[in-house]
Amino acid sequence: MFHTRRDFLKGALGTSTLLSFAPAAPSLLVRSAPVPSEVEGTAAPRRDDRNTVLVVVQLSGGNDGLNTVVPYADDEYARNRPTLRLPTEELHKIDSLIGFHPRMGAFLQLYKDGFLSIVQGVGCPNQDRSHEVAMRLWHTADPDHPNRQTGWLGRTVDGIRNPNRTYAPAVFVGPIAQPFALNAKDVIVPSIRLPGDLVAAQVPGQPDDRSQSKRIAELPRANRDNPLLDFVRQCATDAYTNSRRIEAAAQTMANTAEYPPYGLAGHLRTVAQLIRADIGIRIFFVELGGGGIGGFDNHANQMGNHCALLHQLSESVAAFVHDLRRDKALDRVLLMTFSEFGRTLSENGRRGTDHGAAAPVFLAGGKLKTGLVGSHPSLTDLDSGALKFKIDFRRVYATVLDGWLGFESRSVLDGQFEALDILSV
Amino acid sequence: MAVHKNRSAAEYQPGDPGWPAAAGWAWAAYEPSTQRPWNLARRGGLVQAGHLYRRAAFGAAWDELQQALSDGPQRTIDRLLSPQADVAAFNREHDGYETSAAGSVDELRAWWLRRMIQTPHPLLEKMTLFWHSHFATNAANVNDVRLVQRHVRLLRGQALGSFRTLLQGISRDPAMLLWLGADANRKARPNENYARSLMDAFSLGPGNYTQKDVSEAARACTGWFVLRGRLRYIDREHDGGVKTILGQKGSFTCDDVVRIVLEQPAAAQTLVRKLYRFLISETGEPQAELIAPLAESFAKDYDILKLIETMLRSNLFFSEAVYRRRIKCPVEFALGIVRGLEGMVPTTQLAQDLASLGQNLYHLPTVNGWTGGLNWINSATYAGRHNLALALLQGSGPYGGKLNPLLIARKHGASTPESAARFLLDLFLQGDLDAGVYDAVLKTAPAIPARGPGGLATAQAPADSAGNNSEDRLRRFTHTVATLPEFNLA
Repeated sequence: MFHTRRDFLKGALGTSTLLSFAPAAPSLLVRSAPVPSEVEGTAAPRRDDRNTVLVVVQLSGGNDGLNTVVPYADDEYARNRPTLRLPTEELHKIDSLIGFHPRMGAFLQLYKDGFLSIVQGVGCPNQDRSHEVAMRLWHTADPDHPNRQTGWLGRTVDGIRNPNRTYAPAVFVGPIAQPFALNAKDVIVPSIRLPGDLVAAQVPGQPDDRSQSKRIAELPRANRDNPLLDFVRQCATDAYTNSRRIEAAAQTMANTAEYPPYGLAGHLRTVAQLIRADIGIRIFFVELGGGGIGGFDNHANQMGNHCALLHQLSESVAAFVHDLRRDKALDRVLLMTFSEFGRTLSENGRRGTDHGAAAPVFLAGGKLKTGLVGSHPSLTDLDSGALKFKIDFRRVYATVLDGWLGFESRSVLDGQFEALDILSV
Repeated sequence: MAVHKNRSAAEYQPGDPGWPAAAGWAWAAYEPSTQRPWNLARRGGLVQAGHLYRRAAFGAAWDELQQALSDGPQRTIDRLLSPQADVAAFNREHDGYETSAAGSVDELRAWWLRRMIQTPHPLLEKMTLFWHSHFATNAANVNDVRLVQRHVRLLRGQALGSFRTLLQGISRDPAMLLWLGADANRKARPNENYARSLMDAFSLGPGNYTQKDVSEAARACTGWFVLRGRLRYIDREHDGGVKTILGQKGSFTCDDVVRIVLEQPAAAQTLVRKLYRFLISETGEPQAELIAPLAESFAKDYDILKLIETMLRSNLFFSEAVYRRRIKCPVEFALGIVRGLEGMVPTTQLAQDLASLGQNLYHLPTVNGWTGGLNWINSATYAGRHNLALALLQGSGPYGGKLNPLLIARKHGASTPESAARFLLDLFLQGDLDAGVYDAVLKTAPAIPARGPGGLATAQAPADSAGNNSEDRLRRFTHTVATLPEFNLA
């Protein structure tokens, strides 16, 4: 059970004793962003040893999976979509059965290059097709307890908590309220819009006080055996060091990276900068479609809005992937999309679709093994007009937790879900 | 380790083998004397005064520190426990502001912070904040500003009163029941959400009850509903049958559940431990022997004020072992600056900034409240605190230069640049830094040009090479003080 000497001491002696082992000199304390090369070879592997990063992209409103990865070869598709049917010749064909939406050319290229996987027919049990309930299920990952007060990523960061860790393990990047998936019992997960929101600021035109504050925090204190003071001094030191690293990462990238002018692209650019700054953040959460503009919830006149959103998604993610590829950072990044539900197979008479069930999940990154996971759900075996899911969403969560981040999924998901064999790690 | 209740407090010294398990010594009222000089009495007692005001209030203004110095600890505690000012009138007035202005929870947040800054009874607000985290609710789930306002008023009403009355009130509080999803307790489907929280988070703590106790307590609480924002009791929905709760058997009601819970020794013990962490120390778990005497006494009447009084007056409270052994929550961090500089800042903005540091008033993350301690601080929130202090102390921007260190230093007689810097170190940290750190901080102090022999330079004094006048430079120095690791400890 004990993963490190520190964990052992914590178990055996209690937290207070553990903390009093912390050396007084901050420079000797645990580094803020452990990277494998710097972990001493003799120590047992820590749960947070890896430097892999997960980026979750929430598509708010319920994305129409059928018009995203289109089952063009199935006659039922055309029959049920008199006005929203996408012309076969305009699709970006994946194989003889399915193809990407016409505005998602960038996704096809990523797919061909091996940087994108499609997990087909993902969904969750017990959802009643209300946005709130379904989103709550994806966020809590606990269909049996709708009142659960923590999110799956919140439990993840609580679980990897370590009294000597000084960095924030997860960050939400976006203009809306922090999604409940990140709600943690203990850990504070920052909400930001730009990398600068994590930087200790200085007044423009004034000398830089940060190096001075850092130097004073590092000055030795007579040992009064106060573990809290040692901890706070280390946080101060790291806050000022990280501020410089974030600024440096923003500058090196500013000249070269190209992102389209979409909100999501901007947020992914922020994520890329923070990944390069290497300040220990393992989980990023971004969002598309929320904040009161309707998003993916297209009950009427779906076509135009849906085209625009899918185009933004595909172009933004492609820009992010290309940016990270240039310095091989892509190998330690896995991006995952989700939406609270798919939509009904049939149109609703208002050139729109209603709340459905199963939909595809996209994964993007440099360590993907398989392009297509699972088969497309049947268009004839329906559940109240919507596709039935074949892959429980918690299997995707287990895959990214166990297989990618190296965090134990069992305690987060209250049980072991079979991981999908899609990562080459 | 045995408790030596029959030994007098004076027989214990910090170095005794039984210390601090020597509960008799620990909880005896602290009386400074020449036989027992206390480390904390550094700098003529100034350090004690600062310590007391950080724990029992939101930090001190200079006059409060001076008053505490001349009154000594026990008389200062008298005043903190029951101030002479008309607290009831102040709170009635603020209740009125809240009611007339509160169209949203954002406004409630702003009004509460204003109350914390201006109150003549800071300990009452401090304890209201404690209960806010203890009886953790989230306004987003309650979705009714009026009920949320009533909830915090309930907390304030008993913040220093009776824990029994408080727990009874909470058990009938519509906001609490709505937040926990316990607003419909039908005979056929007893709702366990409240019963579980009552035993787990609000009183006994994990391990001191069973799932069976929860199920049975839920049956006792059937019949209670929240309908259109009002608490309702529907008799035909109450399960009048016999229940067995924590070893007691009877046809219990919800009131009986509260009574039975409070008859468990674990109830008082768990709460005393939590208050120990809030008022005394966050490092390590106190030994059972240390908690026992307070818990036994608390269990008799659940008198919160009496318990807190014992803690604040104690030898242990004023000992080196617990000094700076708490991490300030964001509210304590910000209000320490604001109250020290005797100002008022825009609290709508402050509420928002505190939320981004992890303390969103009226929106507790889970029913376990803010778990706090080490969780408050990481490199991201430290940068956030640096930025909040910068914004509060800047001459312009969202806080609009409402705080002015130069004016406060001058008001309290600091007549030279160096004395102004020393004054600010005394005000915020009672000058209690390691010599090397103190000197390093002092060296960053601005060379403020003196305005003749009589007073400090004014804002009109000549600017330095970066274009700063002396007021700006003292703002920057104050920011350096506020970003010290020591300033983040309480």
